[in-house]
Amino acid sequence: MITALRWLVFAIAALAMNFPILVTLATSFKSARELSTNPGLWVQAPTLANYLTVFQVTDRLNIALYLFNSMVAALTGTVLAVVLALPAAYAIARGRVGERTLLPLIVNLRAVPLIIFAIPLYMMFQWLALLDTRLGLGLILTIVNLPLALIILVNAIRELPAELDEAAQIDGAGRTRTLVRIIAPMCRPAIVTSLIFGFITAWNEFLFGLMLTTSKAVPITVGASFFFAASGGGVQWGVASAVMIVGALPPVLLGLVMYRQISGSMTAGAVKG
Amino acid sequence: MTTTSPSARTPEFRLLATPLVLFLLVFLGFPAIVNLVYSVSHVSFETLRSPQLSGFSNFAAVWNDTAFWRSVWFSLRFGALTALLECGLGLFLAIFLSPLIVKRSWLLAILMLPLMVAPALVGLMYRLVLHEFVGPVPHYLWIWFGTGVSFLGPGSAFWTLVAVETLQWTPFALLLFYMAYQAIPADIGEAAAIDGAGPLRRLWRIELPLMAPTIVAALLIRFIDGFRVFDNVYVLTGSGPGGATASLSIYIYEAFFKQRAIGKAVAASVLLFAASFAVLYGLNALATRRKGAAA
Repeated sequence: MITALRWLVFAIAALAMNFPILVTLATSFKSARELSTNPGLWVQAPTLANYLTVFQVTDRLNIALYLFNSMVAALTGTVLAVVLALPAAYAIARGRVGERTLLPLIVNLRAVPLIIFAIPLYMMFQWLALLDTRLGLGLILTIVNLPLALIILVNAIRELPAELDEAAQIDGAGRTRTLVRIIAPMCRPAIVTSLIFGFITAWNEFLFGLMLTTSKAVPITVGASFFFAASGGGVQWGVASAVMIVGALPPVLLGLVMYRQISGSMTAGAVKG
Repeated sequence: MTTTSPSARTPEFRLLATPLVLFLLVFLGFPAIVNLVYSVSHVSFETLRSPQLSGFSNFAAVWNDTAFWRSVWFSLRFGALTALLECGLGLFLAIFLSPLIVKRSWLLAILMLPLMVAPALVGLMYRLVLHEFVGPVPHYLWIWFGTGVSFLGPGSAFWTLVAVETLQWTPFALLLFYMAYQAIPADIGEAAAIDGAGPLRRLWRIELPLMAPTIVAALLIRFIDGFRVFDNVYVLTGSGPGGATASLSIYIYEAFFKQRAIGKAVAASVLLFAASFAVLYGLNALATRRKGAAA
């Protein structure tokens, strides 16, 4: 009896929380004619026409380009964050360099509304010609990703036995060599987690994409919102839905495959951070 | 080479931390200085590189702007309400559903799905969900109850946004609480059961106190994220109707990009920076003292 009640609560919660995704998915399979007569969740005559339209390039909208921009910027922001954070995490965990200043500073960065840096960064990017470039967006996404990457990596290195380093030191390996040859391979699960997390966060970022790109480097989160503003004669809801599904797919697939790692490190990041 | 202990601060360790420090100096240190200089300058898009010092007039402009205070109030209310709702719902679901999830962890994946979707896209999705002609919510409301609600109208926009944010981020609280609940050693509950404590009593006296640090952390994280909200609000209502749903982040964005009032936008940024710094400093001091008392 109580188990049935639990299932009922689960069903209601899962439906309510995923409702916008389900509605968008259903709408993306509706033809234009069905859309005007059937706003319900059930699709009477499913069609793939909307998905084919998504990749037709018009002079104002280029979904394939937006997806490519998101991919490049998110990968840049993810990999660079780990490349910067790993040696620093090693120095913090083992060398106690910056343990009192650098670590708290970056950890607290996660709680600061990043909009306060947005305006000077906009001006700086204008001087450096980084506005509306994938590299520029990737650099900003690095900042967004750094706090969690650093927390995850510092925690992982602290859990490794210190004898590992000592043995390497006795064998005459320098710190850098020890990091590359011993520490980094041992931290592979933590590195993978930081990469997954970073990619999802970076792909889903909106504010900096909106401020720092205009046409060439627009990411999909911003491009999808163009789609709503662009069509003067009303939104084509079927195509718009297909755009949103395509734009949500990469992080969702990654998240579904990797949900165990994600749930574990989300807790670590929240409680230890 | 000298034989140093692993904890010694060797120059090589400093070298390893240098790239990160340099990156932060360029991308956060420099912008912070620009913020401070421009906040006390007269500056426009034409005179970007030659700001004229003008004292605190920018701050005065922000301080006397009712729209600024309205956005502060919106952000505080939105952050507090969503954090409470998300954590309350998340706590209930985590504990009530844990017997199901323990046996089938893929249920967690279904509940976590909203966390993987960009808040901006979720906001856009609600434009569809709530649309008066093609949206299913108004459709079913009309069929089943014979009423129509203007979800993004003056009276209801705030509550619609609270619901949108809560439905997307309750899974985050749920996840943290589920993990914390599972981490409670089983023998504690068993010992209490032998002593004759019922399930509700165990929950109140043992399990919730053990989960308290996680609950505090979740409330804090969700408040901060709610306070600085931008994406879903921006795509759903802009800041409307009539500026009623402008969060502080949206206020700064609009001051800069729409009104082109750089000085005002930067001054508001500096105020927000100072406020977050003060709050974080206080929280850190509190946490350190707690740790000191516990040790």
